[in-house]
Amino acid sequence: MRKTLAIILCKALRIIGKMVGKGSSLPGKYALKLCPDILARVQLPKDIVAVTGSNGKTSTTEMIAHILRENGKNVIYNAEGSNQIEGVTTFILANANIFGKVKGDVLLIESDERYAKYTFKYFAPTYYVITNLYRDQLTRNGHPMWVYSAIKESISDKSTLVLNADDPLVSLFGKDREGTVYFGADKLSSDSDTFTSVYNDMVYCPVCSAKMDYQTYHYNHIGHYSCGMCGYKRQNTAYSVTKADLEQGYIEIDGKLRIDLTLKSLYNIYNILAAYTACSLLGISGEGIAASINNYVLKNGRVITFKLGSRRGTLLTSKHENSISYDMSLKLAAEDTEGSDVLIIVDSISRKYFTSDVSWLYDIDFHLLESCNVKRIILAGAYANDLAARFSYTHISSDKITVFESIEAAANQLNNNNPEKIYVITCFSDKGKFLERVEVEA
Amino acid sequence: MKILHLYHVLMNLYGDYANISALCRILKTNGTEYSLDKKSITDELSLLDYDFIFVGSGTEQNQRLAMHHLKAYKEDLKEYIQRGKFALFTGNSFEMLGSKIQSFLGDIEGLQLFDFTVTEKAGIRKTSDAIFTLEGLDTPLVGFINKCSEIEGIANFLFTVQRGLGNSKGENTEGILYNNFFGTHLTGPILVKNPHFLKYIAEKLTGKELSIEAFAYEQKGFEITLKNLKQ
Repeated sequence: MRKTLAIILCKALRIIGKMVGKGSSLPGKYALKLCPDILARVQLPKDIVAVTGSNGKTSTTEMIAHILRENGKNVIYNAEGSNQIEGVTTFILANANIFGKVKGDVLLIESDERYAKYTFKYFAPTYYVITNLYRDQLTRNGHPMWVYSAIKESISDKSTLVLNADDPLVSLFGKDREGTVYFGADKLSSDSDTFTSVYNDMVYCPVCSAKMDYQTYHYNHIGHYSCGMCGYKRQNTAYSVTKADLEQGYIEIDGKLRIDLTLKSLYNIYNILAAYTACSLLGISGEGIAASINNYVLKNGRVITFKLGSRRGTLLTSKHENSISYDMSLKLAAEDTEGSDVLIIVDSISRKYFTSDVSWLYDIDFHLLESCNVKRIILAGAYANDLAARFSYTHISSDKITVFESIEAAANQLNNNNPEKIYVITCFSDKGKFLERVEVEA
Repeated sequence: MKILHLYHVLMNLYGDYANISALCRILKTNGTEYSLDKKSITDELSLLDYDFIFVGSGTEQNQRLAMHHLKAYKEDLKEYIQRGKFALFTGNSFEMLGSKIQSFLGDIEGLQLFDFTVTEKAGIRKTSDAIFTLEGLDTPLVGFINKCSEIEGIANFLFTVQRGLGNSKGENTEGILYNNFFGTHLTGPILVKNPHFLKYIAEKLTGKELSIEAFAYEQKGFEITLKNLKQ
């Protein structure tokens, strides 16, 4: 009875919530109050795929849903983005009938990495995809080891783990565990033999603390590694990116399938590979996956093209407090051989509160902009001065840099006839403040 | 002027390395010659050779690795501090110098240079913006705290808490000051974020009056943050 009431309450609140434009976690919150173990009582589809990790959760989940649907599966997933237990409850109950049977072939869940342990207390995903563990929102998450411990508590013996083999901390979840599926990239032409980022969280082996050897670095601590002391090393992969040509914009999976990229970043490659792996495990053919994901344009609004007067621009949604996300965007802007003007906006780090934490700016590799492709750099927002201070510790000439606390002034500065493309690098919390001043195309 | 950045990779969780960049800049722009060494857990240390030692924040696991290494140099560090030489330890690094750490990772003895005890709790992390005042400095400091520990038994504190977290729950004092040893749980680039504190430390260190003209952006950034935090 409680179950039925909880389902009806949740559905009703969701309808009301949608009418008044309120968030998606509230109905689930009340349903959980009424019936705390509701998620254990509903009848879920046979296949449950969960995705967690620091970065790439939303994009990977979106691509898995797209591939499965293109290949004839009925998928339900939390596209609304609420990825803690309340939001997950809302979307599961919204898709359940009043007897608690959830329709659909596959239940797909993007899960917050720290709160996954609460959601998966009640049911175990069939396939549990973990993308990566980086420094991300440390004001909230503490540090990657802290998040590792939180995710570890969410893992059930019943799940098959699907892990990024190239991330030593993520791979550790599969240590001494049978049946784990690994995905990763072979040595790529864009690799480096030496570590190039600002900080290195995997200098020491996460198992025995001896110095870790890397055979190749894809980016940051993602690569091929082995520990000479305890033998911990990168596992062989079941699904692999065998070639990546970022200039031409394509990858090759398992040496046979070509996928063309609209977003030419290493990040995107891992998201595609994670989605490819999950869908393969669900029985979709490699050809079927490749056909549906070829030239796929993410719908989640991470990359937005716009016009400012006569100039063309791209806004690369990056995450404040997440240096690797910034590094990826900076790399894209710096690699545009037709030339670029780069605007970086840090105005509000959190939508909820002001934070005086600027430590993450020092984790970003701003030296990536030290390229002849980059003509001008504009720093804007309430943290423009902190950004300028950070840049003063790079080798980038101050002649290239202009600083505005006002985003409007920064946008006006860019409204001219310079031939370079504009790249705007900022977060969800700040992008609207720029986009309202330009003509958004896609 | 010989500067040592100790555990520069291992204990660099919150951009702490930038404190050394700022210190080097104020010395350089004011014409003070200096040298900088970076040492880690595989290196031998001669702590008494230095005039300034810095250690930043780390994960609880990395702090243990650093502590294990630093224990071999306990007597040198004790003498270093007793002689009134300068050191700045940010984040959880100064916890290494207490009597013990009780933790979800297992209890462990500290270097025992100070009497305080540290208690770390699994799954409970405390974070906060901070406004702290320091005796002898007119302007407060701003910063951020990110920890999973409480510290009991510090009488000779460094800061008074106007906003944020003290050494232990409900306490309005933070950090530790002993001779010229400065320990605070403020994380990250506190010398960049607070140019007046950089000037304060560097002037004590050099015995000279120093200019922070080269830190104009930092100064503006500080003022905006202080204003916002006070709202």
